[in-house]
Amino acid sequence: MKACMMEVKLLRDKIEHIHTLPTIPGVLKRLSGIIDNPGVSLNEISHFVSNDPALASKVLKMVNSAIYGFPGRISSISHAVMLLGLNVVKGLLLGVSVLEVMQQAMLGLREHSIGCAVAAKVIAEKKGIKEPDEISVAGLLHDIGKVILILEFPREYQKALGDAAEKGISIAEAEVLTFPESHARVGSWLAEKWHFPKSLVEIIENHHKPENSRIVPVETAIVHVSDVLIRARGIGFPGDSFVYPVSQSAFEKLALSESDLREILKIIEHSIESTQEIYSEE
Amino acid sequence: MPKIPVDKVEPGMKLVKPVLNKSGMVLLAEGTELTEVWIERLHNMGIEQIHVEGQSKPLAPKEQVLEELSLRFKAVKDKPYMSTIMKAVREHIESLYDGS
Repeated sequence: MKACMMEVKLLRDKIEHIHTLPTIPGVLKRLSGIIDNPGVSLNEISHFVSNDPALASKVLKMVNSAIYGFPGRISSISHAVMLLGLNVVKGLLLGVSVLEVMQQAMLGLREHSIGCAVAAKVIAEKKGIKEPDEISVAGLLHDIGKVILILEFPREYQKALGDAAEKGISIAEAEVLTFPESHARVGSWLAEKWHFPKSLVEIIENHHKPENSRIVPVETAIVHVSDVLIRARGIGFPGDSFVYPVSQSAFEKLALSESDLREILKIIEHSIESTQEIYSEE
Repeated sequence: MPKIPVDKVEPGMKLVKPVLNKSGMVLLAEGTELTEVWIERLHNMGIEQIHVEGQSKPLAPKEQVLEELSLRFKAVKDKPYMSTIMKAVREHIESLYDGS
């Protein structure tokens, strides 16, 4: 079947049965079995992680990195859940596993995602948001739809990447020339299927159109502005080389001045350097 | 903030990041001034690289970075607030080159 004939329902079915896809790495499959369960307990998560020392060490490195602001103080997964909450740890588990595949999927998407996680956290703190770590996880995961699309439809996605470069359009615009929905919608299906908080689902779905966010408009605006800022700074590669226009209402909602932006960029620059090394050590 | 192999570390260098073991526990805190004894122990523990104070990795030439910035904004610089964002990023990039 030609990609352009793909139907929304078929695409969604495939995404929701991601654990049956041959291209999805084992760790993501096993993880989906765990986080798919809305009543998953701390014990189950700890057990799962302790059976995978490489994963455990990455999650601990992540929570002990500059993004989460507990440098070197969190020594176990249960400690992390205590300090950050189950949702953040669930998100991080997914984030860490997805980051693993990201670099193979699209060179630079990992840097882009880590950059957005850092930026979202910095802006959230600046705006006095109560749970900056949850927004940071949303920043980390906002492009998860891209990873899934690349893994499942590598040929079609190459075409989208080619279209973006050739026509000078954004990757999201290029995606809908080939797929019935963009990565934002695809990512939100997955987040919904995996019982992530509604707020996270909404942020992923609306990160290009934050004005459509109903329950978490400020948080969605933060991830949106983070995406724009990280693109503007040229950190990583999200699928195209352009900055897309910031949503006027989202930018006004956050009321960031030029000097706020410079201050945010400065913190981002330092945090990113220390965070990316989590992965460059391999 | 360069990361250097432990055998290149000299006494008196200062850690800018804590040294962690494989499970994420802190062995030496950020800010520690390394002594011969510490360096020897890092060796013994199989730690390969650490972060010490000093010049970060070299940046690409400033002109090139600024030109890439203009290219990224080419299609959107007249959209609302984009000139503010671009100006903030440009000044931020310029500040990275100050004093180096």
